[in-house]
Amino acid sequence: MFGWTGTILRVDLTKGTITREATDPKLARDYLGARGLGGHILRSEVDPKTDSLGPDNKLVFAPGPFTGTFAPSAGRFNVVTKGPLNGVLAASNSGGSFGPELKYAGYDALIIEGKAAKPVYLWIKDDQIEIRDAAAIWGHNTLDTTDLVRAETDEDAKVSCIGPAGEHQALLACIMNEMHRAAGRTGVGAVMGSKNLKAIAVSGSGAVKVADPERFKAAVMKARKLIQAHPVGGAGLKAYGTDVLVNILNQVGALPTRNYQDGYFPTADKTGGESLAAKQLVRPKGCFSCIISCGRVTKVDNPAYAGYGEGPEYESAWGFGSDCGIDDLDAITKANFLCNEYGIDTISLGSTIACAMELFERGFITAKDTDGVQLTFGNTAAMVEMTRKACTSEGFGAKLAQGSYRLAEGYGHPELSMTCKKQEMPAYDPRGVQGIGLNYATNNRGGDHVRGYTIAIEVLQNGAVMDPHVTEGKAGLDITFQNLTGALDSSGACLFSTFGIGGAELAEMLSALTGVEYTLDEFMLIGERIWNQEKLWNLKVGYTKADDTLPVRLLKDPIKTGPSKGEVNHLDQMLPEYYKMRGWDEDGVPTKAKLKELAL
Amino acid sequence: MTVKYFATIRTYTGEAVRRIDDAPADLRELLATLAGRYGTSFRRAVFTGDDLNPEIIILVNGRNVLYLQRLDTPLAADDEVSIFPMVAGG
Repeated sequence: MFGWTGTILRVDLTKGTITREATDPKLARDYLGARGLGGHILRSEVDPKTDSLGPDNKLVFAPGPFTGTFAPSAGRFNVVTKGPLNGVLAASNSGGSFGPELKYAGYDALIIEGKAAKPVYLWIKDDQIEIRDAAAIWGHNTLDTTDLVRAETDEDAKVSCIGPAGEHQALLACIMNEMHRAAGRTGVGAVMGSKNLKAIAVSGSGAVKVADPERFKAAVMKARKLIQAHPVGGAGLKAYGTDVLVNILNQVGALPTRNYQDGYFPTADKTGGESLAAKQLVRPKGCFSCIISCGRVTKVDNPAYAGYGEGPEYESAWGFGSDCGIDDLDAITKANFLCNEYGIDTISLGSTIACAMELFERGFITAKDTDGVQLTFGNTAAMVEMTRKACTSEGFGAKLAQGSYRLAEGYGHPELSMTCKKQEMPAYDPRGVQGIGLNYATNNRGGDHVRGYTIAIEVLQNGAVMDPHVTEGKAGLDITFQNLTGALDSSGACLFSTFGIGGAELAEMLSALTGVEYTLDEFMLIGERIWNQEKLWNLKVGYTKADDTLPVRLLKDPIKTGPSKGEVNHLDQMLPEYYKMRGWDEDGVPTKAKLKELAL
Repeated sequence: MTVKYFATIRTYTGEAVRRIDDAPADLRELLATLAGRYGTSFRRAVFTGDDLNPEIIILVNGRNVLYLQRLDTPLAADDEVSIFPMVAGG
């Protein structure tokens, strides 16, 4: 095989066994890798009703065919599992160098199953695999864990690990790799913790075989030039990082503020990418084979929040920023550092603290609940303290670490949880941008932006434009983005490469790499197949049409101030068309004809 | 009128915000005035020939001028104009 290694590695932590099996060429062709192939493995081997944190759930680390090649930004891999936050077929995407190294070691996927009797870590050096004792490493943060594992294995090993949040099986826990890159969403870190698996270190000496090297080189160079010539992919993200979005989302009136009570934050500029570049940026940083370099190496000198690390991304700056009514960038970055060190999702935790602040201000909880902390919007010290408590599952923090749905429901007010399918929505208010609301409502992993990033067209004027305030055409827009991202995520490419290239360039590179000819339509069909695969899983979990919705606040309470004042989301005008265009019935269930068309 | 600049546009203007007492009649007039103040880099950023540069995002009171009347968008004294280069993230 070309592009794929042809081998899948399986580790049973209960039995302590290590086995290898051949990658099925047909599955590789039809699902590519990463999110798609990992999803197929999970759907084939795990009961959707199984306990997410039980030994019967599996954890799949899967790169894609591009991963480890010199295709632009080809450092991605996915962690696929039944997500403990909401039970969906979770695939959490990460950059760094762990994915390429797994390919170089010879694997299209690593399947972790069972549960170790005591804390362990996994050491993969090509075909030599060891399950090692992790007693001395358990309890350490992600930075120290990475150093300790490297000291015991190889100083150049690539390490994915959990921090204390994952060990505590916090439902917001993520898996960190290369210390600062996160498989952040859906609680995949809790699954790793439930298996007593602290870390995976990998070192590979192989390479990715290319079917047609000259054609691949030509396609890659063309793609790289397109990205470098693009104002965003070639310069903007490197200069300001993703946090540059704070100001434009605020200026269009779609920056969620104080737990989505508003869509405009007057002092947002203090938290944006321009301020970050001026105050904290040490240097931009890219993942493996990246020419975009959106990552931020940052330093905070303010003694109250001093630290050195990476981030924040836009979503994190929003979650700990305007959503908590906070404009202190030093505090925001400190909270981000804590999350990386302890291994917890910044989007969901920021939103959960915002939810707790609203519960507090409305009198539904008091200082007796919050360990004496006055948890009001704009209280910067309280936000950082609650982040620390959530990271360590200390006191009230243990409730925060389970996410806003369980928090708000526990206090009798689930309507204050800004979630879709129990996962926190990210940093785009669907009242000011209609299409992203449809994406949140229909997204297979709940509140999520990267799998249907309509913002690119509705706000950012990237290649095409559609008015964010209208609903017409948004069903088709959402479907196109969702399908494209399904295939892109599974290929091992980075979403940000689409700030410069599209499906046609990806299909050409994929054809040259694998020797399997993919047209643009076939590439998009793979994405549609993957989207429907995830939908089928969610239906078996028990999700229905009733779950394809938004928090009531977004449907009924207009934005109070700013450019989108008076707007609500009109999901009811978009959802029926979305189902119809998807080839699903009126209840949002894929028809037999559609499943046959997709070979599902 | 208030004009706000963001990202690389700030490097051309040297300031983040400017108050303008005498509001121009429309966006074309405003941008021409600003180009005269800030110079060639700013002019290239906002204009391609006589039209808007497709890589500029201009909002008037939060609405992209592509959904209004582009360069002919009328302006009033209490309007807020925001000027961005193409930006992205997620």
